Amino acid sequence: MDFLRPATWEDALAMKAARPDATPIQGGTDVMVEINLDKGRPTALLDLNPVAELSRWSWTAGPAPMLRVGAGVTYTRLIAELGGWLPGLAQASRTVGSPQIRNRGTLVGNLGAASPAGDGHPPLLASGALVEAESVRGTRLIPIGEFYMGVKRNALEGDELIRAVHVPPAAGPQCFAKVGTRNAMVIAVCSFAVALDLRARRAGTGIGSAAPTPRRAHAAEEFLAGELDWDGAGPVDPALARRFGELVAEAAAPIDDVRGRADYRRHALAVMARRALGWAWAEREV
Amino acid sequence: MTVWREAVGTPAARVEGPAKVTGRAGYTYDRPVTDPAYAFPVQATIARGRVASIDSAAAAGVEGVLAVVTHRDAARLADTGDAELAVLQSDEVGFRGQFVGVVVAETPQAARYAAGLVRVEYEQRPHDTELRADRPGLYAPEQVNGGFVSDTDEGDVDAAMEAAAVTVDRAYTTPMEFNSPMEPHVSVAVWDPGERAPGGGFAEGARLTLFDSTQGPHVVRSTLAQVFGLPPERVRVISPYVGGGFGSKGMPHAHNVLAALAAWAVPGRPVKLALTRQQMFALAGHRTPTIQRVRLGAGADGRLTAVAHEVVEHTSAIKEFAEQTAVGARMMYAAPNRRTSHRLAALDVPVPSWMRAPGEAPGFFALEVAMDELAQACGLDPIELRARNDPEVDPESGRPWSGRHLVRCLREGAARFGWAERTAPGTRLVGRELVGLGVAASTYPYYRLPGSRAVVEYEGGGRYTVRIGAADIGTGAWTALTQIAADALGCRLRAVRVEIGDSDLPAATVAGGSSGTTSWGSAVVAACRAFRHVYGEQPPAGAEAGADMPDDPDAERFAMHSFGAQFAEVRVDADTGEVRVPRMLGVFSVGRVVNPRTARSQFIGGMTMGLSMALHERGVLDHRTGHVINHDLAEYHIATHADVVDVDAVWLDEEDVHAGPLGARGIGEIGIVGAAAAIANAVHNATGVRVRDLPITPDVLLR
Ligand SMILES: Cc1cc2nc3c(=O)[nH]c(=O)nc-3n(C[C@H](O)[C@H](O)[C@H](O)COP(=O)(O)OP(=O)(O)OC[C@H]3O[C@@H](n4cnc5c(N)ncnc54)[C@H](O)[C@@H]3O)c2cc1C
Repeated sequence: MDFLRPATWEDALAMKAARPDATPIQGGTDVMVEINLDKGRPTALLDLNPVAELSRWSWTAGPAPMLRVGAGVTYTRLIAELGGWLPGLAQASRTVGSPQIRNRGTLVGNLGAASPAGDGHPPLLASGALVEAESVRGTRLIPIGEFYMGVKRNALEGDELIRAVHVPPAAGPQCFAKVGTRNAMVIAVCSFAVALDLRARRAGTGIGSAAPTPRRAHAAEEFLAGELDWDGAGPVDPALARRFGELVAEAAAPIDDVRGRADYRRHALAVMARRALGWAWAEREV
Repeated sequence: MTVWREAVGTPAARVEGPAKVTGRAGYTYDRPVTDPAYAFPVQATIARGRVASIDSAAAAGVEGVLAVVTHRDAARLADTGDAELAVLQSDEVGFRGQFVGVVVAETPQAARYAAGLVRVEYEQRPHDTELRADRPGLYAPEQVNGGFVSDTDEGDVDAAMEAAAVTVDRAYTTPMEFNSPMEPHVSVAVWDPGERAPGGGFAEGARLTLFDSTQGPHVVRSTLAQVFGLPPERVRVISPYVGGGFGSKGMPHAHNVLAALAAWAVPGRPVKLALTRQQMFALAGHRTPTIQRVRLGAGADGRLTAVAHEVVEHTSAIKEFAEQTAVGARMMYAAPNRRTSHRLAALDVPVPSWMRAPGEAPGFFALEVAMDELAQACGLDPIELRARNDPEVDPESGRPWSGRHLVRCLREGAARFGWAERTAPGTRLVGRELVGLGVAASTYPYYRLPGSRAVVEYEGGGRYTVRIGAADIGTGAWTALTQIAADALGCRLRAVRVEIGDSDLPAATVAGGSSGTTSWGSAVVAACRAFRHVYGEQPPAGAEAGADMPDDPDAERFAMHSFGAQFAEVRVDADTGEVRVPRMLGVFSVGRVVNPRTARSQFIGGMTMGLSMALHERGVLDHRTGHVINHDLAEYHIATHADVVDVDAVWLDEEDVHAGPLGARGIGEIGIVGAAAAIANAVHNATGVRVRDLPITPDVLLR
């Protein structure tokens, strides 16, 4: 196994172009586990940790600035430094592993791994993030909904690296919910995120661990856009919340596995969606 | 006769605590040895068959590899009667994960890498790993663990069930469970050259030193001496610090033999072997899954007329271990008609072994949930039901109890826990959570094992050293023995230094069966008394005296058991079925408590393990491959800090005058017994859903 250590982003891109077989490593909390479990041995590791600019975040230019979260920003820093703008993502990040894992692990690593159970995905889907992929050939922004291609497969080309994720700052309350078989250090049985955009009167959704890829619940989003009383005071109409939950559950395609049964996942998604909507809506009032 | 008390009964801090928290305590793998080599095993990838061919050329060619040892070239062992320990002695494969080879190299990395290059081809035979109650070939073992008979039958259970006003007849299951101590199983083997016998055997001149993470240095020594055909004095086992065992380090396992074989293959080099977490799932023992049928018959007043507890469980086809799951039901409740039985399926699975409270831990899940079901059927409070069935004397032996205070524990716990607030099942909704309370009884036998000896030496300057080859696996034994010696010698705690963890020290029994403090402690008391008897209060420096653990005549005349009452509160999310356990309380009757601080840790540690058993732990065997697929701590879930909120333990202030000089009955295991049942009963009280299969996962609560 070769161990490649670029000092700059340009070097990293050049190395990846020369060695498309190289596996990038950031926090290593997925990569090292896979190696230890003997799930294939990478021919080369491309260590991105020395590339200093990756650990920064900034605002994008333009009329609707987004947070550009560098590939090296850990969950711990995301929670502490960006939680005010990205409350849904921060809430999801707090459920990842343990403090040690959050000190090493990154959101971009979650995207690289593209596990259907990754906790970062639902809030990214709900808020309409963009993945900034770069290669020596240039840069492209991949809408998050087009990023997940299959179980643990994403849309990156062999020579591409993720430079950053662009996430719009919250335009309203956001909420993340996760069911696990214990209270910490647990892979989600299923998870759900909702992001309300109070100005545009839209809701974004994200479903985790209940289909081959993380996915949105489009029908549920359209339903909320059309049916939610965006000007109304007081709590969400229970019947509407229930219907929203049903539509979210219908969008899932779960399987039975060691962590839970498919029908349980559908049921729990409906519950989480209903509750997450209620919680988010209630937050709007304070 | 009781020892003079000044140190015993006080919450002395752990004597080895500072060394542990400052990193000075050297655990086995960190043990400095000269010029070590490192071993990494090659494991069978089939569940049953034989090794047809091995190609180790690629592995042998890896830089730094010193030896690749397989059954073809491993040294011949003198005694292969224990198939688990007959490592690399034949081409037979009895379970997936069994050792089929080992690579020894200059670095752990090279050893591991090369082990992955060893190509093994197998002649596979059909295997069977699935435990079912209706499978053919179930058999009754000669005896079950602990030396108990497999079956008992008193009176006429069937007729009593027929005639009973109220009955419960249910099946309960517990899954394969894994001890999973924090420190993995580690052995560092060092051979003194000696003469090599022709044919690669172990000549009498050879001498083996094993640094080992074990619950019993003397047990490892005597077993390995026999396996290698060496006189015991030529084997030394050193093990001062152990990062947990929970029974899995109670007896030597295959890795001990593998480490020694690996070292034998590279003369002059000590060899270090540490099992990985994943390897532990196949090689460090486990708790058998159980299928338990419990039948209870009672009058309308709840008085039991029949108790039957019939258990089906597995063992490994290569070695029998019969967990004594139904034994507790023999003495727990007064019922004239009682039947217990154990049936084993000999499967192509790894070798099961001790796991905290073998027998009682799984057995009391079934028995105590069944008691809860009976209370419900009779319309009785579960505590009242147990009080009505509290036997005057041991129903099995007819002997008087040395002290049975179960009902006191239950009533004390009820008062402390707020038991009176318990409502009818499924009726207490707080916010979106269903709240329930549950109770279960707990017991564990008093064991004092013969075979320990302690020696006291006066160092001069007011200081004493007490030597006994015991083991502290994190339990606090080191501290407790220091307290016991201080009181027995009549000196200050700081004047006593206790040496343990080395087979060159006087013989000591295993840290198992909650017997350590009672067995070793009474040997220490005897040695201190012998010392004072010979030398009085003014001994000369260098004075030394020892004694064996005295006999325990009362153990023959009394039924001696500890008891406890376990309480749990659960909150079940009404919509998702997620279970949280905000409160647990254990009230125990264990005789004298030598050290309240370390005892409390044992109790709440056991209860936490019971919580984990109730809600999380489940080994998943893939019957197509014989593989435990969730063989790591990411997928084999053990309760995390976030799952454990408020676990408290208290105990009755008592002394068991029949339990040796200390009046103590042992505390290490009782904390897990009944804990899972208390949680399952609380879940029923919260939701109205009766769960009879562990673990309790959210999906089973939504029906
Ligand atoms: C004990 C433990 C608990 C865990 N708990 C959780 C949990 O609760 N929830 C959860 O979602 N995950 C969990 N994980 C998984 C893991 O921590 C996360 O997926 C994390 O986000 C990975 O980030 P990382 O920086 O460590 O990624 P790495 O391991 O470094 O990389 C992960 C993947 O991304 C690729 N990659 C990394 N950087 C780039 C880049 N710049 N461009 C392209 N590809 C890249 C890598 O090649 C690899 O395929 C856990 C892991 C462990 C070990």
